Amino acid sequence: MARVFLENVVKKFGKVVAVNHVTLEVKDKEFMVLLGPSGCGKSTTLRLIAGLETPDEGKIWIGDRLVNEIDPTKRNVAMVFQSYALYPHMTVYRNIEFPLKMARVPKEERRRKVIEVAKFLGIEDLLNRYPKQLSGGQQQRVALARAIVREPEVFLLDEPLSNLDAKLRVKMRFELRRLLHDELQITTIYVTHDQVEAMTMADKIAVMNAGKIMQVGSPIDVFEKPANIFVAGFIGVPPMSFFEGTLIEKQKSLFLDLGSVLFRIPKTYYSALHPHVGSEIVMGIRPQDIKVTLEPQEDSYEGKIVGYEPLGTETYIHFTINGTKEYIAVIPRGMRISLKRKVYWKSNPQKLYFFRKSTGEAIY
Amino acid sequence: MRSSLKLTKLGWIALTCFVLSLFAFIYLSPFIRSFVASFMTWEQASRYPPEWIPDPFTLENYMKLFKLELFPRWIFNTALYAGLIVAGNIMFSSMAGYAFARLKFPGRDALFSALLALLMIPIFVTLVPNYIIIYRLGLIDNIAGLALLSLANVPSTFLMRQYFLSLPQEVFDAARIDGCGPIKTFFYICLPLAKPALGAVAVYQFLGAWNAFLGPLVFLRTPENFTLPVGLSFAFQRSMWTEYTPIIAGSLVAAAPTIVLFIALNKYLIKGIVIQAGKG
Repeated sequence: MARVFLENVVKKFGKVVAVNHVTLEVKDKEFMVLLGPSGCGKSTTLRLIAGLETPDEGKIWIGDRLVNEIDPTKRNVAMVFQSYALYPHMTVYRNIEFPLKMARVPKEERRRKVIEVAKFLGIEDLLNRYPKQLSGGQQQRVALARAIVREPEVFLLDEPLSNLDAKLRVKMRFELRRLLHDELQITTIYVTHDQVEAMTMADKIAVMNAGKIMQVGSPIDVFEKPANIFVAGFIGVPPMSFFEGTLIEKQKSLFLDLGSVLFRIPKTYYSALHPHVGSEIVMGIRPQDIKVTLEPQEDSYEGKIVGYEPLGTETYIHFTINGTKEYIAVIPRGMRISLKRKVYWKSNPQKLYFFRKSTGEAIY
Repeated sequence: MRSSLKLTKLGWIALTCFVLSLFAFIYLSPFIRSFVASFMTWEQASRYPPEWIPDPFTLENYMKLFKLELFPRWIFNTALYAGLIVAGNIMFSSMAGYAFARLKFPGRDALFSALLALLMIPIFVTLVPNYIIIYRLGLIDNIAGLALLSLANVPSTFLMRQYFLSLPQEVFDAARIDGCGPIKTFFYICLPLAKPALGAVAVYQFLGAWNAFLGPLVFLRTPENFTLPVGLSFAFQRSMWTEYTPIIAGSLVAAAPTIVLFIALNKYLIKGIVIQAGKG
């Protein structure tokens, strides 16, 4: 088992900087998820660790070894790809056996290991089949078996669930975590753009954007204490609503001037926000922390519904304050709403987030 | 309204069928003419306007052909020549195609462009330099020497490159992680996956080699070493005239394997066209 450490790693493709001075530590036996939108550099980071790409700058360590110049075949990492990348001309048995054969493991030992892993993953009945004869879930198990059979130091997974249907994805998410983290206890780096996967599987999440690491922390940390607007907006379903305005002070109270509305900021935030009076700031509220009613309440503000998405258990409503920017709130099912209807909203005073508008960094 | 649309559609289908049949007939007519003429006497076959029914029906042309002492030898030579070229192309063109598609080396794309540019050079331009090379190697009048010139060629390399480009990158990445260097990847992953493309290369090269005339005519000298097309021309060419009907019969016999091959493997030919039309 091994720790993986990336030190100031840069990878460019022509003029595009895919990975921009990334420093990241993945501890031994840790399950790290690289999370970010498409094109943020997370897969490139994984490929750098695997050795499929060479860094332009920086160092990559696996265990005690600096692996920059070490060929992927000798890094003792295993990788599961989005498309599983099974060899179509080989049976399941041959697919699983292949890395052992390349490592010149004796035939009898290969056979023993393949059967052992196949039993472990419940695919011993599929050993004589070809990949095209398997379902997506079965193919994924074979890809996992091929990776596990080598007993690697580090497991790399590149969006391995994205080709599965929603139901199977939920099941495999749980199984993967149990298998890799709880049972095998292998250091795992898992790439996904699906934040639900990241939240449910990771020990730690590294949120990436535009080739940079935005924040590294436990799932709860990145959810509760986002380091910047990007993380705040990326983590959470539906995404956080952002209210931009100027911070002003009136009679020892702070307000966010939203144009047509002056939003009263609770006293709790006074000391943290006071140095920013007069500046443009962004206030973030998670849709679950916005309470919407049909009648005015104390400290509520008026809004107008411009769209809604009923999900069965709850409904997402999109509303505006002054007719321009849209915000999202979650309302319980059964609430009578309609398009263009006037509603009243207020926030949970304990659950507000504030960011500098200029840099996007979190203030509170 | 609906029935008039249906009529228009039927009209178009009928027109398409007519045009296709016409073209098929135009393309097939030399073959049909050869087939018919192979059972005619030379006197009847050379009449104008052409006659289409053999009268008298004769097998004399085929008899003359099979009486030729060197006929089996020429078939063997042609098969050997075609076999060497097919084997060479499968080996070298697939390796070259793999290198151009999947390996990274300086000047790769420039080299490939230069290779493609070779397609624009007519065969006659390279005939004399090739002759000199083969002569210097002492391989004139030698089937192996003649085959040496065609063991790899640009269209086959291009076809293999296109095919290897069409394979998913992730399979190559997986092989690399599983412990394969470029050579192992080629033999364990690429070659087994390239069967359709290799089939196309084999069929194209076999057809080309089996029917080749110019190369064997220039590079082979003694009748024992001739291939079938050159041998037939040699056998029935007299000083003042040529016996065309036995040559026609011989050509039909010579074409038989290629026709069988085409019927059996035409899916590979189509596959070959599809691969070449793929992404660059």
